[in-house]
Amino acid sequence: MTEKNDLIATKEITLHMGPQHPSMHGVLHLILDIQGEKIVHAEPDIGYLHRGTEKIAENLLYHQFVPYTDRLDYMASMSNNLAYVQSVEKLLGIEIPERAKYIRVAAAELSRIAGHLLAIGAWALDLGAMSILLYAMREREYVLDIFEMLCGSRMTLTYLRVGGVRYDFTQECKDACARMIELFPSRIDEYETILTGNRVWIQRNKGIGVLTAEQALDLGLSGPALRASGVKWDIRKDEPYLVYDRLDFDVPTGTNGDCFDRYLCRMEEIRQSMRIIRQAVRDMPDGPFNVDIPEICPPPKPDVYKNMEALIHHFKYVSQGFKAPKGEVYSSIESPKGELGVYIVSDGGEKPFRLKLRSPSFMNLQTVNAMSEGMYLADVIAIISSLDPVFGECDK
Amino acid sequence: MNEGKGRFDIMELIKKVLFTDFVKGLVITFGYNVSMDSVITVKYPDEEKWIPYRRFRGLHTLNRTADGRELCVACELCSKACPTRCITVIPMEDNTGRGISDRVAKVWKVDLVRCLFCGYCEDACPTRAVRLGREYELACFDRNCAVKNREELLRPQPVPEEMSGGVVAKARLRTTPDGIEVVADLSETRKRRV
Ligand code: SF4
Ligand code: SF4
Repeated sequence: MTEKNDLIATKEITLHMGPQHPSMHGVLHLILDIQGEKIVHAEPDIGYLHRGTEKIAENLLYHQFVPYTDRLDYMASMSNNLAYVQSVEKLLGIEIPERAKYIRVAAAELSRIAGHLLAIGAWALDLGAMSILLYAMREREYVLDIFEMLCGSRMTLTYLRVGGVRYDFTQECKDACARMIELFPSRIDEYETILTGNRVWIQRNKGIGVLTAEQALDLGLSGPALRASGVKWDIRKDEPYLVYDRLDFDVPTGTNGDCFDRYLCRMEEIRQSMRIIRQAVRDMPDGPFNVDIPEICPPPKPDVYKNMEALIHHFKYVSQGFKAPKGEVYSSIESPKGELGVYIVSDGGEKPFRLKLRSPSFMNLQTVNAMSEGMYLADVIAIISSLDPVFGECDK
Repeated sequence: MNEGKGRFDIMELIKKVLFTDFVKGLVITFGYNVSMDSVITVKYPDEEKWIPYRRFRGLHTLNRTADGRELCVACELCSKACPTRCITVIPMEDNTGRGISDRVAKVWKVDLVRCLFCGYCEDACPTRAVRLGREYELACFDRNCAVKNREELLRPQPVPEEMSGGVVAKARLRTTPDGIEVVADLSETRKRRV
């Protein structure tokens, strides 16, 4: 494998790339065995950002863990909130109101747009196209403004709660979404004009990091990277949660399974997300946005002042939380990076006995070796960017 | 190879020689260079400052009633609700009318180094005493000044509650004994360009 070329025999060396490398995503440390410029073996070394998130969950009440999920995939925190609260709701066996479902869909898709924009921006920057990052940031900033309007925070949103959402989706937010849908398509086309036809972009991405559908499935890839390999698997379509089965959207797939297809898939997903938001905002019914179970969602503040029973529920919720029935659940969603699953084991108390996160970044990173073997060193940058790992999530 | 494919290749070649792919991209970037209303930069902190929306979760504030009495009844619910346990409340008796009841906070402090700005304390407070305000310039020189005390938090916030926010206000720098402050002029605001 190593000594193909008799004329130029070089020694195999080991190169450490990251965790401080400027074009590495976050704190990824790659150990590369290289023969000349070619990769013989690539091994990700992770864990620099390990914070023991799963262990923290065991020491917190169910509702108190939501802010910590923000810090997993901090580029699209709404999806993490959603994965967590959805699995707790499954454990409790409660059904949330219709309005909350639509709000959650709109919010999750907004964060998908924010996540993909940054993924593409950073990817282009890594390969030398700086302006895309600036344009993508401008659009992302607009999405973050909507988040600020909606829940008061730009990155660590903590918007969803067990049993619903924390604040109402106001008319102002709806208008902002409508304006976004008006504004973005031409901007996305601009990125495509700059990148899709560009010969440098094509050369750096086409045929790089190819994974066949079979390989991708074997390695446990998920999300846009899997779909680029031609596997039409999207949890929103195949195991619909919330109201995705009522919305009309397409799942883009690629054919070659290379970096270029992954890029095209992401671009198309941004467009599809906008379609989903348009429908979700349009169809959003009126009504309550929290379940009517006072133990799980304490009554609104004005009631707490007047009503003794409401006050008791409020005190109990804050100081003791709520008990979940004994059992185990796994529930997963399609986050911008792939399948984000939360597995909870409950012993009947008010804290999870064990919580396990199936984070897409961690799983997707397993494919780095398969993709980069035999490629050039510079291609590793494109490969990593095309997977878009986020280390808050990967290292947990 | 058939005829059609050959012609296609020639078109591609011409495009390649003329650098149409680069030119198309450069037209866009150049377009942004010449048009002045596409400048989205906010000149923070020298000239402008972002005023967040009303729901913004920034530095905590402790509120008073209209007649100046403290709303906090030192029930310690906020410190119980906090996921990071970063609020310390020590209650005491005081019937001089400082608070709305006879029980007031002797100490109420929050450690911002550990705070997640989740707003759960605000949700937990039964009297709406604590609220996450719109102050976000929290950098300081040592850890001690990241612990904010009751006295400091009781001061009114610079951005009034009535203002809905989401605008860029004119600002200027002011030197204070603790460092430099960005003072926003709330009467002169503009929307952020998108
Ligand atoms: S915002 Fe959250 S972390 Fe900060 S003091 Fe309040 S409850 Fe605690
Ligand atoms: S701020 Fe509110 S929750 Fe905290 S001690 Fe005072 S009254 Fe209780």
